[in-house]
Amino acid sequence: MKRIGASLALAAALGVACGDTRKEQASNPPASPQPVENVRIALNWKPEPEFGGLYEAQRAGEFAKRGLAVEITGGPGAPVVQMVEAGQVEFGFAAADEVVVARDRGSDVVAVFATYQTNPQGVMVHASRGLSSLRDLFTAGGTLAVEPGLAYVKHLQKEFDLSKMTIVPYGYSIAPFLNDPQMAQQVFVTAEPIAAKRQGADPQVFLIAETGFDPYAAVVIASGAQVREHPERVAKLVAALRAGWRAYLDDPGPANAAMGVLNKEMDAETFELAADAQKPLIEDDFARQHGIGAMSQGRWATLASQLRALAIVDKEPDPRACWVEVP
Amino acid sequence: MSRLRDTVLPPAATFVLTTAVAEIAIRAAHVSPLLLPTPSAVVRAAVAHAPTLLPALATTAKAVAIGLSLSISVGLVVAIALSASRFVERAFYPYAIFFQIVPIVAIAPLLVIWFGYGMRAVVAAAFIVSVFPVIANALAGLLSVDPALRDLFRLYGASGYARLVKLSLPWALPSVLVGLRIAAGLAVIGAIVGEFVGGGGLGVVVLEAMRQQRTDLVFAAVLHAAALGLALFAAVNVASHFALRRWHSQENET
Repeated sequence: MKRIGASLALAAALGVACGDTRKEQASNPPASPQPVENVRIALNWKPEPEFGGLYEAQRAGEFAKRGLAVEITGGPGAPVVQMVEAGQVEFGFAAADEVVVARDRGSDVVAVFATYQTNPQGVMVHASRGLSSLRDLFTAGGTLAVEPGLAYVKHLQKEFDLSKMTIVPYGYSIAPFLNDPQMAQQVFVTAEPIAAKRQGADPQVFLIAETGFDPYAAVVIASGAQVREHPERVAKLVAALRAGWRAYLDDPGPANAAMGVLNKEMDAETFELAADAQKPLIEDDFARQHGIGAMSQGRWATLASQLRALAIVDKEPDPRACWVEVP
Repeated sequence: MSRLRDTVLPPAATFVLTTAVAEIAIRAAHVSPLLLPTPSAVVRAAVAHAPTLLPALATTAKAVAIGLSLSISVGLVVAIALSASRFVERAFYPYAIFFQIVPIVAIAPLLVIWFGYGMRAVVAAAFIVSVFPVIANALAGLLSVDPALRDLFRLYGASGYARLVKLSLPWALPSVLVGLRIAAGLAVIGAIVGEFVGGGGLGVVVLEAMRQQRTDLVFAAVLHAAALGLALFAAVNVASHFALRRWHSQENET
């Protein structure tokens, strides 16, 4: 209830921009001819089901219907926040914690759409170890491969005693995990565990979200200037993404096929399994009530205070500035 | 005094000038600190994060030192072996080139599987990228021995060992040192790429700073790596000064 109240207040605060958007959409029915606006959107990873709604929207013409010509760019390692800030792309994908950190470092980037209501990041272990929680793992010890500098690793270090773990960098390869039964590693629940299973391992995953650190993930960001100056463009993009995600959740097949052409390393069955695994993380009760991709002030405020407590940001962030409610 | 003026002043002047221009230009253009931090912000980050950077520098320096020592010893042995006969050289030299063209970033994740996480994988990465210039330059030096001198040694019935130690190696020394200068810088790069996958040192500081969007800290870490490379380069120069001053005229001029 608190979350909803807060987002309503924000919606009211953004009334000017939102009002414009509604008028614009009302006077321009989706199918009517209108000047096409070119926008670029940068991915931070390969075309995989986490971008399913985007590719479905592209494939089904949801962008074109709204007068947008979307070019999808970026990829693994793309400095998306910097690209958005520098205006090289209009939109990009980042994690919610990256948004708060970027704002703390002086970048005016704003979240407009959150794909995952529940953060899909977790720690994968071998089921044969018989562990039942992250606490179990940290008591048992072993090697843990994570990308250095991840916010949630700091959170885990604060919440648990990690002195028994040997922390090593994650090199985006599950080979070391497959090779060592005592190894644990970071995962996206929709990616590595499925790959590990297909390689014959028996993986078990503990979600980071269960430990109380749950930033939105696969968040679409835009520069603050763009959100202020082109609210109608942002609204069109978000509406198209919502429609794309609705269709993708109901039938991921066509978009999976389109992404499969671009990402040959992932086979059709893995696409299908991943699309299935991520469903509950995208469409939970909140998303059903407020729309796919909707966000709440409460979640941003929690994240902001957590990042401050972990000393990842230097000053108290203003959660209100991190996101906008797009109707 | 004049020596100091001639050697220290020109690079110091360049440094002061470029730093000042960068500082002013970045401030004037209002570039976001996330895209390009000012030199002063980099210095502030270096000071603020010194407790992280200095131990990381020490770890990287250790890996570089071990990797480079391996490169020098293995590289010299290989070069001597290749110089022993045309046949051996033709048979094996093409495979030595493999070390030069191997994309270290691509095989770095494998190093972790072969050698385990930590120092050994990092040393291996430093070795792989720095061994080829040692082999190539040492071999070129060993093969360029003045034929007249070689004939002279043969005429006096010098043993193979004597020819190697008294003629070929001293003759090849300047080339070997050129190889070392190149290898020293490459070993630093190799170690940092190794640390990206193996863990520890400046490599992990760079990854952490990138992930946390502290571009100023990324630059500070890169500067530490550059300082390490420069220190090694200087060490090789000092070594070559002492090694060559008795024989080679070019070293007497400086």
